[in-house]
Amino acid sequence: MSKQTIVTGIVLLVLSFFLLTILGCEKSSKHVKEPVTYTIGDPVGDWGYPSPYGMYPRGPGYIQMSFIFDTLVWKDKTGIIPALAEKWEYVKSENAYLFQLRKAVTFHDGYPFTADDVVFTFSYIKEHPWLWVDSRIIKTAQRVNDHMVKVHLSRPFAPFLMNIAGVLPILPKHLWENVTEPERFTEAGATVGTGPFKLVDYNKAQGTYLYEAYKDYYLGRPIVDRIRFLRINPETAPAALKRGEINACSVPPDIMQHMRDQGFTIEEEPPGWVVNLFINHKKEPFRSRNFRHALAYAINKTNIVQIVKKGHAVIGSPGLLPPSKGVWYSAENDCYEYDPAKARGILEDLGYSLGPDGYYQAEGQRLDLELLIASPTEEEFIRTAEMIKKDLEGIGIKIALRSLEAKTADSRIQNWHFDLALGGYGGLGGDPDVLRGVIIEDNFNSARYDQNKELVRLLENQVRQMSQEERIQTVHEIQRIYAEELPSITVYYKKWYWAHDGAVSLYYTPEGLGPGIPVPTNKLCFLEPH
Amino acid sequence: MKTTGTHYVIAFLIILFLNFLLPRLMAGDPLTAIYGQEVLIQMTPALKLRLTESFGLDQPLWEQFFRYVFSLFKGDLGYSFYHKTPVLKAILSYLPWTILLMGTAFTLSGVMGVVLGIESGWRRGRKIDKSLLVGMMSFSGFPSFFVGILLLLIFGVELRLFPLHGAQTAYAGLSGLGLLWDILKHLVLPLSTLVVVFLSGDYLLTRSTMVTVVKEPFVLVAKAKGLTDRKIRYKHAGRNSLIPVVTATGVRFGSMIVTGALLVEVVFSYPGMGSLVYDAILTRDYPVLQGSLLVITIVVLMVNLMVDLLYKKLDPRTASAQ
Repeated sequence: MSKQTIVTGIVLLVLSFFLLTILGCEKSSKHVKEPVTYTIGDPVGDWGYPSPYGMYPRGPGYIQMSFIFDTLVWKDKTGIIPALAEKWEYVKSENAYLFQLRKAVTFHDGYPFTADDVVFTFSYIKEHPWLWVDSRIIKTAQRVNDHMVKVHLSRPFAPFLMNIAGVLPILPKHLWENVTEPERFTEAGATVGTGPFKLVDYNKAQGTYLYEAYKDYYLGRPIVDRIRFLRINPETAPAALKRGEINACSVPPDIMQHMRDQGFTIEEEPPGWVVNLFINHKKEPFRSRNFRHALAYAINKTNIVQIVKKGHAVIGSPGLLPPSKGVWYSAENDCYEYDPAKARGILEDLGYSLGPDGYYQAEGQRLDLELLIASPTEEEFIRTAEMIKKDLEGIGIKIALRSLEAKTADSRIQNWHFDLALGGYGGLGGDPDVLRGVIIEDNFNSARYDQNKELVRLLENQVRQMSQEERIQTVHEIQRIYAEELPSITVYYKKWYWAHDGAVSLYYTPEGLGPGIPVPTNKLCFLEPH
Repeated sequence: MKTTGTHYVIAFLIILFLNFLLPRLMAGDPLTAIYGQEVLIQMTPALKLRLTESFGLDQPLWEQFFRYVFSLFKGDLGYSFYHKTPVLKAILSYLPWTILLMGTAFTLSGVMGVVLGIESGWRRGRKIDKSLLVGMMSFSGFPSFFVGILLLLIFGVELRLFPLHGAQTAYAGLSGLGLLWDILKHLVLPLSTLVVVFLSGDYLLTRSTMVTVVKEPFVLVAKAKGLTDRKIRYKHAGRNSLIPVVTATGVRFGSMIVTGALLVEVVFSYPGMGSLVYDAILTRDYPVLQGSLLVITIVVLMVNLMVDLLYKKLDPRTASAQ
């Protein structure tokens, strides 16, 4: 092969490259009139088969299913609103909820929706535990007539409407009554619901979903014909949004302003995703409450928010609940303002003294702590951990940073093999009962602190208090005690942003969708406003 | 050949056992890995028990292994803990895309690398060799995701010549030739990324072998015989330079099918085995890990066998050595 042949070869290769693209471009312009499709970009794409038992155990999985299945009540900008139930009342004497169901509602296959489906769903989840609802709270669901159901609870449960009636998808009895293995039920009948959209396609490998409007929806025909979810890398999503390939996606904080300048609407999530410093309060020196206080005074949270998050975060409240929780949030707690002198004072009161190398020690033993960076191991966690290390070493506590694979870190935390760990989770935006889950329950995101008996009593009590005023008082007291005990230190709450082109008015539902999932894609956005 | 066959079977059985054991040795368990992160779910004792039973985690390890081998012989690769579908179905939905992307990348980079390597080695020291060498050495330094992002930014975002994500335009209703064009269009950028990354390896290997082969006496004989330059380069010298490249490709193939593509899959939102295995590790999805490792094992063993057979064609001396 001569030099000329090589050159010719390269030229041919490049030519075919361009030919391919030109031809490809031409093809795309020959289009028939498309139905009105709303496209949403998602970084993960695949959240499982959108049936109640098929979706992956994550918020976005629930959201996919929520387009197809309706619940008894739902939420919009104003709060809890009727969905499949038109009216409801709490019968205090019986600890039961009476639901008057909407008439003339049909499932996607045309079958009428009746009280039998509601009764069936409640008993089905007792037999086949469903992930998002603790079915032990339901004693029994009783059919009063074709369109009325009475749900008896086994104990007083304040968040029943928020966390059960507003979360549980109603299954069509005629399609589910013979299903013995709900997770393996993936035939067409598994995604028949009463929701505003029908499932047309779910492609796991490509991470895409396609929904079609259900024209006989009881609140009227949706304003778009189809909704399409695409898997798209978060770095490229803004470019796709600008090109008009997608209508909405979540955007990283640093380009939020740029997207706003380009004319896109930005939705801001009321912060509820907490970045938490977990403390192993089961071992020394963390057993001492004052030591934990010293750590809190030593960490400059304002600095971390400014430098790591560039302002796109809210400083953590020591009582755990974020300020966006409104009436539930208690602002009266000591916010542990950055005070290195105070921190040193506390350490010295505890008997520590500065060693020759500038670090505190007691009984000849230097204070050597390990800070584990837990899941998710994103850059902001690493930066935050580095700043915490700098702050703590600044007052004289030696810190060793360790970054582990996400699940290995989780399992070390679960088994109490850590000193300090930086982790995080979302969900504080939902009903305050989540506090019980993240303070006393046994999982790696929980503080697992049960040493203050009063705190435990209050946490178990608040869920039974049917009077909102009483419950708010209890939740305030819980935050006060937590802020005093400080079994973990809330560093900040992340701000999440979505950008969209305004074709549909998306909004963040106060207290989150369903069980408290903070995304702005409420199915109600796709219906005519009422 | 009989002993080789037995060797392969023994290797397969040992690997099968390791594929079962290694995922279970990782810290963390599937229940925590899959269900632990979401604080809003209600993990009741009843649900926990049900999941533990369905995952088979309550059985002793040896019992789990025998169940696994038994169902393997029935052709059942198990049920994914995370995806809630049969493992075979999950693998088959990702594997074709990986074969398309990686297979084409391997072939293209292999052919181009060998040809350029032969040409370069033949003309060692001259201008074209020097420039090719410098070019390739610089390419070999770039990590795959860097090349991918660069190509995506230039050709996708700025010049708008290629799509930004996916293996095809979702739900565009295309079929036949239109669908083919769509898939090819989506394939160009990730394919180019992988070719750029793989090319230098094949090129350098071929070139260095070529440089030694060219000095062999039989090449002088071929020249003396009056054969054309091109014939000597390819049929005589080139053919003898292939063995290292073929070996290297065979060795890389099995692992590349999975690990090599992951970063490219992430950058281009392209479906593939890389993402499947990565997710399976994060969720401690033992059945999927076992299944994917099994697929890789079979592929590697088969490729090794093919390379063994190919040796005999490339260099008849190896046949007599056996």
